[in-house]
Amino acid sequence: MPITTTRRRLLAGSAAALALPAFARAQGAVKPRLTAISQWSAGSDGAAITALGKKFEEKGGIWQHSPVPGFTTEMMNKLRAQIMAGDPPACSQLKGPEIAAWSKIAPTVDLDAVVAAAGYEKVVAPDLAKLHKPGGKWIALPLQIYSTNMLFLSKRAMDKAKADKIPVTWAEFNDLAERMKAGGVPYPVANGGTRPDDGQKFEAALAGISPAAYRAAIMNLDAKALKGPEIKAAFVQVRKIADWMDPNVGAQHFSTNLKRFIDGDMGMMIMGGWAQGVLRNAGFKFEDFMIAPGPSDNSKPVFLLNADAFIFWQRKEPDLQAGQTLMAQLVMDPAIQTMYSQITGSIPVRTDVDLSGEGWSDGQRRTAAALKDAIASNQAVLSLAHNMAQENGMTAALIDVITEYVKDKTIKPEQAATRLAEAVEGAR
Amino acid sequence: MTNAVSTKPGRPAASDLVRRLPEYLMIWVPLLLCAVHLVSFSLWTIWISFTPSTLVPVSGWVGLRNYTAVLASRNWQIAFDNLLLFGSAFVLLSAVTGLVLAILLDQRIRGENALRSIFLYPLAVSFVVTGTVWSWLLNPGIGIQKLVHDLGWTSFKFDWLIDRDMAIWTIVIAAIWQSSGFAMALFLAGLRSVDADIIKAAQIDGAGPIRTYWRIILPTLWPITITVVVVQLQFAISAFDLVRALTNGGPGIATQLPALVVYDLMFQRSLLGRGAAAAVLMLLILLAVLLPYAAWRYVQKRRATHA
Repeated sequence: MPITTTRRRLLAGSAAALALPAFARAQGAVKPRLTAISQWSAGSDGAAITALGKKFEEKGGIWQHSPVPGFTTEMMNKLRAQIMAGDPPACSQLKGPEIAAWSKIAPTVDLDAVVAAAGYEKVVAPDLAKLHKPGGKWIALPLQIYSTNMLFLSKRAMDKAKADKIPVTWAEFNDLAERMKAGGVPYPVANGGTRPDDGQKFEAALAGISPAAYRAAIMNLDAKALKGPEIKAAFVQVRKIADWMDPNVGAQHFSTNLKRFIDGDMGMMIMGGWAQGVLRNAGFKFEDFMIAPGPSDNSKPVFLLNADAFIFWQRKEPDLQAGQTLMAQLVMDPAIQTMYSQITGSIPVRTDVDLSGEGWSDGQRRTAAALKDAIASNQAVLSLAHNMAQENGMTAALIDVITEYVKDKTIKPEQAATRLAEAVEGAR
Repeated sequence: MTNAVSTKPGRPAASDLVRRLPEYLMIWVPLLLCAVHLVSFSLWTIWISFTPSTLVPVSGWVGLRNYTAVLASRNWQIAFDNLLLFGSAFVLLSAVTGLVLAILLDQRIRGENALRSIFLYPLAVSFVVTGTVWSWLLNPGIGIQKLVHDLGWTSFKFDWLIDRDMAIWTIVIAAIWQSSGFAMALFLAGLRSVDADIIKAAQIDGAGPIRTYWRIILPTLWPITITVVVVQLQFAISAFDLVRALTNGGPGIATQLPALVVYDLMFQRSLLGRGAAAAVLMLLILLAVLLPYAAWRYVQKRRATHA
């Protein structure tokens, strides 16, 4: 059953959407209801969305969330099936450039009026805002932010290296790794062996060396930038990192090695902010580790953005439409974002939320400060490894090259750079 | 089959038809459903492989573009090379292992039933479980290598799982462990069906046990050998869950196999058209195995009826 979105259908859809707020007011008697799907079923993610559902119910709504556990792609399979059957959820998890891609296969809700009423656009990072308004109109709303290039330092490994200064540039990072190695830390870099894991090493390296080159080569796929010296330099740095990692991890998840990291068997970890939540859940204390922004050669923080979001699919039912308006208002609400981030360990999308109060960790405060600084110096960029910079097909083609390079030490940095440029051409 | 005597031989009476209706329904309805499913979805996939479909199926015609893109991709090339290596090594080694086990079990030993169950048991374990368990055993940091190191032999090295050149052999090992019992069962049945008189005649003629096996018994096994090879090849070509659990295509993309590429293209990269093209390529590889087999069966059958 092929789905072709005709211009007429799109027009009809947008007209209906424009009328939505007025319509919702007219149908004031209707009880708002929301059908939603996401991959968040367990752990802190599950707890956070359940808490959001409670708030939705407190406002008089009916909350119908169906989690699809597993990878994001599995949630997408369910979404695809529902869209093809003509029965999309009122709202679903979706993020990054996938929002633009998916909005072409089924009509979405125009949220411009609700967003304007909340004054939301002023408090969202510009690159992030762009992703959520592909046709110039808001159709999706970001919910929480992580940085994928936070630097976690093991206290015990730091003691072994007799070091107490957090490295700021890649040179300082490399220096500390050598000192750790000399001080008896077998693996100065902690890691897993999954594809995003390898991807994060590369994006942290390139963005840390030159955020401008990252923006041009990875976000804009500029052919000249892809052949630039920064790409080669990034691969050289990735090889250094790979040499400090434990090769035995195979395809394990990064969380498998957290105990060895805390014990000082592994020294530094380049991981997303979510690792803080995982470490805390595993019972480790804040005294056991430190969190700082990832290395940046110009010493100003570089922030690799990863943001979860909700996209809203057009429905005719008045109760679902009222539910969508209520949900949009809740997602933008600073109090809700505070509640959500405090559960998951992320930081709020809104840059005007005050994190000085109780319930926030130093890591979260540092992350939020890094985001502010990075936006100010135009060093907030979108993560490749976590599907924020490119659509899935392009991302996978690039990660293929990176993961092979991390695991195969016979590939030279310049060879990897050439393959990366070829992969972009092949996937276009 | 029926012991009711119909009035006109060759044309069953109406009552006979009614009586046998449940049998026909039992056989033909599921068969037709399966055939319709199989054929219609195969045709659908073939159609999709010629369209520009990405996130969802769309109509349109792009000719062979999806095929050239898949064939040119590194992932597919690695997967195809791996399939050749994995397919031939796995089929050959599992058949040899199965045959050796069957011959050993054929010696009228005590506890044969127990041993047979033990060797067949891995077949009852799902591939995901096999893959996961072997991924632990073969992991140098926690598995066999660590065990040997802890026993005192510290220079011992067995790190195939993380060695990109050898990782494909870990899949061969796990697959043989899983399915050589199946080959053994078929071979054992074949060994047992050899006419005892021929064996006795050979023994009277003074042939030793090795010579008896080599010259008399094994030659009668070759139809079974072909069956074993074809069944195992089908598994090798469509292998997915074992690899996904054991190496997930890694280290890097060193152990990609065609089925992993299809899944990756369709569901991870949202490129339905290319995924369908890769699936059709897999179907062609499978046909390259099955068509000669069907032809061979046909020739065998004709020869049997003529004789």
